Amino acid sequence: MSEGLWLWLTLLAIGSTTILTRGSFIVAGERARLPATLQRALRYAPAAALAALVAPEILLDGGEFTALNPKFAAAAVVVLVCLRLRNPWLPFIAGMAVLLLLRKGLGW
Amino acid sequence: MNASFKRGAAEGFRAFLPLSIGLIPWALVTGVAMRSIGLSPLEAMGMNLIVFAGTAQLGTLPLIAAGAPLWLLVLTALVLNLRFVIFSAALAPAFAGYSRARRILSSYLLVDGVFAILSERLLKAQDPHWRWGCYIAPSLWCWTLWQVFALVGILGAGALPADWSLEFMATIALLVMLVPMSATRPMLVAALVGGLGAVLARGLPLKLGLIAGIAAGIAAGFIAERQAEKRRPA
Repeated sequence: MSEGLWLWLTLLAIGSTTILTRGSFIVAGERARLPATLQRALRYAPAAALAALVAPEILLDGGEFTALNPKFAAAAVVVLVCLRLRNPWLPFIAGMAVLLLLRKGLGW
Repeated sequence: MNASFKRGAAEGFRAFLPLSIGLIPWALVTGVAMRSIGLSPLEAMGMNLIVFAGTAQLGTLPLIAAGAPLWLLVLTALVLNLRFVIFSAALAPAFAGYSRARRILSSYLLVDGVFAILSERLLKAQDPHWRWGCYIAPSLWCWTLWQVFALVGILGAGALPADWSLEFMATIALLVMLVPMSATRPMLVAALVGGLGAVLARGLPLKLGLIAGIAAGIAAGFIAERQAEKRRPA
């Protein structure tokens, strides 16, 4: 199968998870109910998943654990900016500025 | 279109407008990030229309880039989207009596912001016309903003230098979502355990470390919540 077709199938598969989760109860109607314990546990899924995606990205360098690297420094600045300021643009500007400064400016 | 539909639409739109402006940087970044892993403008726009979920799009991009197996991509997207099951269950009574086509369209359009700002109003409102206006107007506005600014990002990405580590924008976007989410202690525990778990389990085959980290994070958050309840005097 060609790579292009495979990608479109992948996108459709990812897209089907969005429509299935969003539509789960809206389409099924009020007949269905979500068990309370499951509902409580599911609340933690997005935070756990976001962190599990981000942490290896900023803590690993070429598969090796490296706490001090440019991406980690940039991520730390992003977290600080998010905690201190409510501006939607600044985290992106500050994070990219730190990363580019460390990589290009200082050659880290 | 009757008068109560219009009143509902106006109220929903006005309530959602301030928050929706915050979507613009997201959509731009998502557009740039999709191009940064090598998707063509057509493929990137296709993803934006088919998936229409910033978190699932940004979260699966590094896995697509790494050539991860399809089941892992789907499982990751599913976990990132699980919150929608909760939103969908909470909001379902507001769609009582609507046609199947309307429910499916509403499902495709369901986003965090509209749910957060309007769910209370939607569940309280008795008039089905008012409710429909109040849901569909801000939802369509959000969809339009997302598509337009993602397209700007997709087309603008080509003008940015290739060696600027633009794929890091996706990581920043995920962090920006994660920080406010981790405001309570059990959520913070879920995030810390999920993140460290994924790093420690990275040696597992088939990128299973990601799934292991997520499962550990969910369990840790749930346990932390139970602990906090026990400590609280009844």
